Amino acid sequence: MARYGMALDYKKCINCKACETACKEENGVLLGADKHRIWVGVKEIEGEFPLLSIASQTFYPSQCQHCDEAPCQEVCPTNATYYGENGEIKVDPDKCILCSYCMNACPYDARYVDDRTMTVDKCTFCTDTRLARGETTTACQNTCPTKVRIFGDLDDPNSEISQVLREREYFTLKTHLGTKPKLFYLV
Amino acid sequence: MHIEISRRKFLQGTVALTIIGSTATTTSLFSKDKQGELKITTKTGETADRLVPTLCEMCVNKCAAIARVENGVVTKLDPNPYFPKSRNMLCARGNAGIQALYDPDRLKYPLIRVGEKGEGKFKRVTWDEAYEYIKEQTVKILDEEEDNRSSFLFCAGEGMAEHTFKTFYQGFGSSNWLNHSSICLQTVASAYGLTVGTYPQADLENATYIILAGANRAEAIVTPDTMDLFKNVKSKNNAAKLICVDPRFTNTAAKSDKWLAIKPGTDLAFVLALTHVTISEELYNKDYVANNFNGFEEYKEHIISNGYTPQWAEQITGIDAATITTIAREFMAHAPKAIYYPGRRSTFAKNDFQLRRAMAIFQALGGGIDCEGGLVFGKTLKIKGHDELSPMYENAEDRAVVKKSKYVAGEAGYTDCAIVSGGGSWISWRNNFLEGKQSYPVRGMFCYKHNPVINMPNTAKTIEMLKKMELLVCIDTMPSDTVMYADVVLPECTYLERTDPIKTFGGAEPAIAVRNKVIDPMFETKPVMDILNGLTKKLSKPMFDITKKYDTEVQAMIEESSEEDVYAEFDLTIPFQHSQEEINEHSVSDYPDAVEKLSKYGVYYPEMDNYFKQLSVNEYECYPKSKRAYRVNEGKPITPSNKVECKIDTLAKNGVDAMPTWRDEYYRETTQGKYKLFTGRHAQYTQSGSTNNSMLNDLLRENFLWINKRVAKEQGIEFGDLVEISSKAGSTKIKAYPTEKIAKDQVFFIHGFGQESSALTWAYKNGGNDNAVIEDIMEPVYGAAAMHETEVEIKKV
Repeated sequence: MARYGMALDYKKCINCKACETACKEENGVLLGADKHRIWVGVKEIEGEFPLLSIASQTFYPSQCQHCDEAPCQEVCPTNATYYGENGEIKVDPDKCILCSYCMNACPYDARYVDDRTMTVDKCTFCTDTRLARGETTTACQNTCPTKVRIFGDLDDPNSEISQVLREREYFTLKTHLGTKPKLFYLV
Repeated sequence: MHIEISRRKFLQGTVALTIIGSTATTTSLFSKDKQGELKITTKTGETADRLVPTLCEMCVNKCAAIARVENGVVTKLDPNPYFPKSRNMLCARGNAGIQALYDPDRLKYPLIRVGEKGEGKFKRVTWDEAYEYIKEQTVKILDEEEDNRSSFLFCAGEGMAEHTFKTFYQGFGSSNWLNHSSICLQTVASAYGLTVGTYPQADLENATYIILAGANRAEAIVTPDTMDLFKNVKSKNNAAKLICVDPRFTNTAAKSDKWLAIKPGTDLAFVLALTHVTISEELYNKDYVANNFNGFEEYKEHIISNGYTPQWAEQITGIDAATITTIAREFMAHAPKAIYYPGRRSTFAKNDFQLRRAMAIFQALGGGIDCEGGLVFGKTLKIKGHDELSPMYENAEDRAVVKKSKYVAGEAGYTDCAIVSGGGSWISWRNNFLEGKQSYPVRGMFCYKHNPVINMPNTAKTIEMLKKMELLVCIDTMPSDTVMYADVVLPECTYLERTDPIKTFGGAEPAIAVRNKVIDPMFETKPVMDILNGLTKKLSKPMFDITKKYDTEVQAMIEESSEEDVYAEFDLTIPFQHSQEEINEHSVSDYPDAVEKLSKYGVYYPEMDNYFKQLSVNEYECYPKSKRAYRVNEGKPITPSNKVECKIDTLAKNGVDAMPTWRDEYYRETTQGKYKLFTGRHAQYTQSGSTNNSMLNDLLRENFLWINKRVAKEQGIEFGDLVEISSKAGSTKIKAYPTEKIAKDQVFFIHGFGQESSALTWAYKNGGNDNAVIEDIMEPVYGAAAMHETEVEIKKV
């Protein structure tokens, strides 16, 4: 039993989208531009050429936050969305009735419809692919050129993620909502 | 901190995903073979048949991958940590290699044209029928040209098996070879070669001050540079400062400490001014210059007397003088751990060769040559060569270059350039061919893994050239725009279906790596080695018969000995008789454990058992820092003189400035009502080679025209509006992306889109083709394509 989380050294992200493609190939995510578990957030640049704000072009890699208090799990009428044994949020396709409450409840917009299984699908932290066969990295983490992601057990004080969260400043997204997200953005 | 970025916001806010649907349509050419239409991905399972270490070919970097095979299907490509160059990563394209393997549009069988050239109508034939057809046409042409082997042109794109194809060219005996260099690295590689001895690597991992000018490493990914650079610059302590010099605000600019929106084509003035500050304030490394420079005093005099001051450069570059002064001072304060990044790109401006010379000299002024944190020569592990064939044909003419009728000292000897390099000037060759200036007819063309229709300026002219070729043989994996003009198409298998020639990768952390075959070739495709084995078996004897007929030297040799003995020297089949695996084993036979390691890890370097170490869950070290070859020549350049060459008099004899010199004609203001057109690369696509990849198509549906937001508003152009871009060369249509990331007199779109091959489901008529618009302007030294010298008009359609 672990409590999986991910730290993102997001300033290293160059928006190359290797993570998104690795995720799709590993987890058999449907093709189609709006079918993805991972994305990189970019805002419109601020300023007028050539007086542009570099900081306004920071890239924010993101995916399901695997909240400790997950709104998507709370609203699911069939208990299709549930907490996995390592704290990851999972979906049981047999129970999902595609009511899409979870999509509306998720403040991070992390869920999408898989048209094959007719399930509102999401990131699994690769628990049913890579981790299930004993690997220790997620696909997105493994492939990243600049090594943005650190994945691991938040309950293990000796894990890399626990160490980095002790040593570096970080923030979480929409903290005020009380969802207790487990994606940590390293400053 | 509170950040509001969500999937939905992202969809609204960026170019990549806002356009719904694609313009691609399925076509009929290969429809019988199309199965399943839209492709899907495969979820990886618990057990794999095998994990095969291989090398990626989605771009030129050759990163190491581990292919996962389940039930005979490649389900995943993972990074291979053993290869120092690729730093345990695979980019988006590397991951999408599976979709290249299973692309329904792939060339599957040998084809012979039945319709008009370019129409895309072919009939499926057997390999033997294809070879037979090529033989008949080749022998006919050679007979009519009296064994002038140069009546055939050979051209190839970059790749690990390029040399295999070049071996065929050498045996064939033509003098006409064109590769990617004149639309790629020609000027930068040659300029650094002449100035410091080679085109070096940059130790971006250890530099503390880095200038990236006209090099967009976040989007035009080069390994290990991209990873080393951004990991270093954006490390916890911000260890290195990054200055990005680019007319456009790129993803690299987004990672920089300072972005300088330089006027296009004026980088040379910027570097000369940095040099002026460095020399006039005596900031340079005096010991290094005293010991390692040739012609420094003359260069100093040249820089000072020409008045290349920051104030002078401000007028030309648009970068203020104080900033230029500060950057020169900071750079030299950080030197030798400061890098003016050499860059790895095509030629943009006509002055590119001189720009690269000036950059190399400026770098050397700080002493950052052959050292940690500077430019690095590194070591290369030696591997053995393989069988080649260089028969002499009496009637083979010299390369079809056009010399000036009279040589004038101090001027270029050729009509289009001063120097003809091994790779030749593609544009010059093509244009001379079309204009009938070549001294003999070239009638046939063998084209390997190369797409001249899309890859070089002035698409219309390339098409005209291909139409005039009596025999065009294309070896490729995909029905590219060039393949559409082929008379015979020989389908190569993709990189995941073949073992390629072993390659040694030099650098601070040298290694040998191999592309191991992951699965057997699908359909009737073959590796180029096997294709040439079959082709030469068919061609060799009949071609020798033509030689016997016209070559008096060969006739005399046969008189003296026997036909059998003479033919042995002309037997084209010899280099292609062994399997690639056998040749590879021979290549590394000096290293006792290499074959085993290359099979197991895909990578070999001596001491890897001792050196390779896992640093954390996801990071590895191939060489301990103390064992890396940062310094191999005591900090000296590796030119023949072991000095930095500031002044090269032999260049002046050919009309090329002996020292980097700014000339007023290098910059002109944009004509009123027109725009300067830039092209460039993208992190999710490699030129035209991957625009048909369905996975990558998910990330960016099509290319867009960057146009300044305020200008677009004045013109009534909104996001997604279709516009026509036109120049003297031609026109293309593309959707607009108004943005403040570009200047008012410039427009930009990425290369590789707008293809016309109807056999490409995703790439066909998708987006705009830059080379339909870019004019065929050459830089004067090598005749390399100068891609950013074109002005265009824009019209909403």
